[in-house]
Amino acid sequence: MTSDTPARRRARVFSRRRTAPSRARRRLGAAVRMIAALALAGGVYTAFTPGAFADDNVQLSAAAQEGKALFDNSCISCHGRDGQGVEDRGPSLIGVGSASVEFQVSTGRMPMTRQEAQAEEKAPQFDEDQTKQIAQYIQELGGGPEIPEGSLVEDLEANPDALARGGELFRINCTSCHGFGGGGGALSSGKFAPALHDPTAREIYAAMLSGPQNMPVFGDNQLSPDEKRAIITYIQTQLQEDKDPGGLFNLGRYGPSTEGVAIFLVGIVLLVFTSLWIAGKS
Amino acid sequence: MKRRKVDLAEAPVTFAKGVDDRFQAATPLRALLNKVFPDHWSFLLGEIALFSFIVLLLSGVFLTLFFDPSMKEIAYDGSYLGLRGTEMSAAYASSLHLSFEVRGGLFMRQMHHWAALLFMASIIVHMARVFFTGAYRKPREINWVIGILLFLLGFFAGFTGYSLPDDGLSGTGLRIASAIMLTLPVIGTWLSAAIFGGEFPGEFIIGRFYIAHVLLIPGILLGLIAAHLGIVFKQKHTQWPGPMRTNTNVVGERMFPRYAMKQGGFFMAVFGVIALMAGLFQINPIWLFGPYRASEVSSASQPDFYVMFMDGLVRLMPNWQIYIPIGNGYSIPPMFWPAVVGLGALFTLPMAWPWLEARKLKDKRTHHLLERPRDNPERVGIGMMAFTFFMVATISGANDVIADKFHISLNAMTWAGRIGLLLLPPIAYYISVRICLGLQQHDRQVLAHGVETGIIKRLPNGQFVEVHQPLGPVDDHGHPVPLEYAGWVVPKKMNRLGALAPAVKGFFYPVEKPAETPVSPAVGGPAKKEEIKSGR
Amino acid sequence: MTTVHHAGEAGTPPVDVNDPHLSRFDIVKEGLRRDDIEIVTYESQFHGQNSKAEKRVVRNIALLFALSGILTLAFVVFYIVWPWEFELGHTMSDYYTPILGITLGLGLLALGFGILAWAKKLLPHELSIQQRHDQPSPDDERLITGQTAMFVADELGVQRRPLLKGAIALGLAPVGVAIGAPILGGLIENPHKGDLPMMFTTGFNPGNNNGQLVRLTREDGSPIRPEDVSTGGQMTVYPGIPGGATNHWADSPTLLIHLRADDAAETRKNADADSNGRNVGSMYGNFVAYSKICTHAGCPASLYEQQTNRLLCPCHQSQFLITDNAQPVFGPATRRLPMLPLTVDEEGFFVAASDFKDTVGPDFWERP
Repeated sequence: MTSDTPARRRARVFSRRRTAPSRARRRLGAAVRMIAALALAGGVYTAFTPGAFADDNVQLSAAAQEGKALFDNSCISCHGRDGQGVEDRGPSLIGVGSASVEFQVSTGRMPMTRQEAQAEEKAPQFDEDQTKQIAQYIQELGGGPEIPEGSLVEDLEANPDALARGGELFRINCTSCHGFGGGGGALSSGKFAPALHDPTAREIYAAMLSGPQNMPVFGDNQLSPDEKRAIITYIQTQLQEDKDPGGLFNLGRYGPSTEGVAIFLVGIVLLVFTSLWIAGKS
Repeated sequence: MKRRKVDLAEAPVTFAKGVDDRFQAATPLRALLNKVFPDHWSFLLGEIALFSFIVLLLSGVFLTLFFDPSMKEIAYDGSYLGLRGTEMSAAYASSLHLSFEVRGGLFMRQMHHWAALLFMASIIVHMARVFFTGAYRKPREINWVIGILLFLLGFFAGFTGYSLPDDGLSGTGLRIASAIMLTLPVIGTWLSAAIFGGEFPGEFIIGRFYIAHVLLIPGILLGLIAAHLGIVFKQKHTQWPGPMRTNTNVVGERMFPRYAMKQGGFFMAVFGVIALMAGLFQINPIWLFGPYRASEVSSASQPDFYVMFMDGLVRLMPNWQIYIPIGNGYSIPPMFWPAVVGLGALFTLPMAWPWLEARKLKDKRTHHLLERPRDNPERVGIGMMAFTFFMVATISGANDVIADKFHISLNAMTWAGRIGLLLLPPIAYYISVRICLGLQQHDRQVLAHGVETGIIKRLPNGQFVEVHQPLGPVDDHGHPVPLEYAGWVVPKKMNRLGALAPAVKGFFYPVEKPAETPVSPAVGGPAKKEEIKSGR
Repeated sequence: MTTVHHAGEAGTPPVDVNDPHLSRFDIVKEGLRRDDIEIVTYESQFHGQNSKAEKRVVRNIALLFALSGILTLAFVVFYIVWPWEFELGHTMSDYYTPILGITLGLGLLALGFGILAWAKKLLPHELSIQQRHDQPSPDDERLITGQTAMFVADELGVQRRPLLKGAIALGLAPVGVAIGAPILGGLIENPHKGDLPMMFTTGFNPGNNNGQLVRLTREDGSPIRPEDVSTGGQMTVYPGIPGGATNHWADSPTLLIHLRADDAAETRKNADADSNGRNVGSMYGNFVAYSKICTHAGCPASLYEQQTNRLLCPCHQSQFLITDNAQPVFGPATRRLPMLPLTVDEEGFFVAASDFKDTVGPDFWERP
């Protein structure tokens, strides 16, 4: 395929190569030696520069301490010690903020189980509290965007204009990948924009803030929190609550392709059977 | 005052006399009442198209009462909160008004759209029937050409209709249409500027498409449909071969009352299916698409299914640009080939097909008897080749949806389409020709040896053989006399010979329902059921 | 059981239709004879009058008609009384269209199947044969028609009067053209007229802004500062001229992308190495702006993949590599997306340093 992205970049983002066990063992051995060497070097380093990590650790809140424990268990192999990132495995998490962690972990995208074109949504491995703890840990490590307190959805009774405004912003910024009906869409080489049928307001907010995977970042400098709330309101009211005044079935909202399938599977099939009956012997 | 007596019983007679005095209608009317039509399920497929066209006219008239074909920008203030205050064209606003504020308007809109899809789908199915049975042969070549023109006009009627609401999806379609016009060498920019009244999208296109959609195209469609039916009527319908059926007669039912009633009932059924689909399945939810903006687009932007083959060809076309280094330089963009040359070829080649085939076979006779597809493997092969090409192109027109929903790489889908477009049609040709030949051979085999009875006989030497029931007379040794193939269904099962209980009918009966009469192949010698049953 | 075999056979002698002894069917048969139709089989589907089977079929058909009446009546009632006006949230009006469809659809289907059952189950079985009579016209008829047509030509005498032939060609042909001319002529627009020919300029051309550089704006017309676009983010921008975000400037929408530092460095390297020099120096900091209008068919090629740095067009799946001058790397597009030269004005807002240096939008014949 013409996947001509610089190999280095792609590898850094996605690649965690699966190798034969023997090779893995060799690698493991190498890693152990490496870690030993690093530990030694680190020990020497800390000895001469007192405080660098020790101080940070001291400042971690109780929740972040818990989060660090979880991180060291499940995330460290790819994202490295203190979220510094591991070359060719996982990116650094310094500065990604708690919003990103919440999105990736609460939708089950992280931790990844295997190498794919992009991390897929699956059952989350951590419960809500644990997710918050890891998020808190990453937040305290390097800062970054956070999901604000308060409601993430506009009150349409008080502010009915927000819906149309949200729709307008949705069509400018979101539909090109996620589709008019929020059914999602394909991106290049096996990547895709997921459907918007079930994410929660928090997840959508976090996704806009952090730009997970290939999604562009819509920081607060670009879309104000109010605008984000309007978009979320539009998605929840018009797309998720599935208001289909035009029928009981919306054919997945994939556009004319499913409509074309329906006319043959329902219309033509029904009428061909009718004509078989009409012309059949009684 | 003298009152003239009115004899009510005599009124129809008086009326009929009056009509005949003026129009001499008695003889032609009798001929019409008596006209004989052959009866076969596959002859009803074209009717689906005719009836959905009637539904299209009826629902379309309703829609015109509320639609405003204007591109004037206004701010929406209707009941749909999700767009209130949005700047949009009057055409889109009136489409929303039609959907939300007109009693039953959305139902009518959906009925119109589903009827349009059914119109095109049934044309395709009908065309396949006509092709694979050789019904287009002399003297019906002209009607075949008219049929293709009907598909082409339906294609344009559908595209103009898709564009009218001026929503995000229809604007995207218009943009591509404009780009296709631009690809034409020399006149491209002039053509696009003429149709759009300047730069895309301009302010005229909805009004122009509206008049084309509600007057010009339906007018021509109506005329061609009348010609199509008139020719069928004049030339009388084709029929399958079978007992009593020859090239010079029509075997069937008189048009009145039975055949006409079936037509009327079928019209109601078609209308009913369209109404049911319009009520159950949401189609083209324009309120989600928003007004057309040149900067907005949706993933999975597709045309309706009957335009998808063209979109698919455009997607699969490699990026080969022809550059002519004369003067400032001129270019022919890659889209020119699939969208202009390809579309043209896809319509003109089938139009020429009846004459091409006749020329190749040196066949100048008239044909009123259909051919079973298996009896002309060459034709079936070519038809399947064209059909496979069309299907690969159509599926490629939705390749992003397929890639997304079935987790396939989009790029892989495109490559699969490119390779499939070249590779699959010849394979389809080969396979269908082989299947036809195999079926032919089996027919001949049954005619020569008889029907398999399922009875295994052990010969004195220990060999096992299956007993065959001859279809015709046997010679002195008890071997069946080979029979001539008559171009129609050869009975291949014992129950079709009447030797077994009739096949269990219906979907829900168990297939294993025990036979009620015992197998008795020996009774009364070979069954004299040589008659070829009409395959109804 | 009424069975008639070989009635009204063609070739049988005609009967006197005024004969009072003839039944109505006999007269029908005479008509069939005259139309060259032969009824081979004509038999009732039932044994005897008012058989049980017949009654059952009649009952079922009546039931279907009654059902159809009830359903279509329900359709009319629901059409009028059901709350149909659209409201936000789940309301009864959501079910308006489904109810209309189900009542009308099933009502019509019941009616249709009632009629079909009547035709199929109640009417007698019939097998008729009609002769086609599709022989071509007799030779003498053809000859007479042909000679008549030629005689018409003789009467006109065009053959003998060559001057008239020329007169028709020269004198009357323009009449035909004149009928067509207004239709075609009215439509013709010169696509290349004016100082700013539409095929080659966009709203970012300073000529549209009294010679001033044109600002990049959001859809509501507000200008944009570099810090308004998130890193790894993109923004759809329009020319900051009156109506710049409307469809009047359908070729102008542009994608302003804020690249991450290392991607920006690579993009800059490639832009500065641009072989025809058009993209040299067009970036501003880590920002790059490409036309949003696909060079293939004109859809907005706006599916921005911020990790792989690709732009994908959702219409025909052309893919462009952002870091390499938006070169097409997959799909049917041939030409790269034009880059908008960026800079910042004295107030710190983005402006276009000039119009696009490549032609925006789908390709066409005259594009150099």
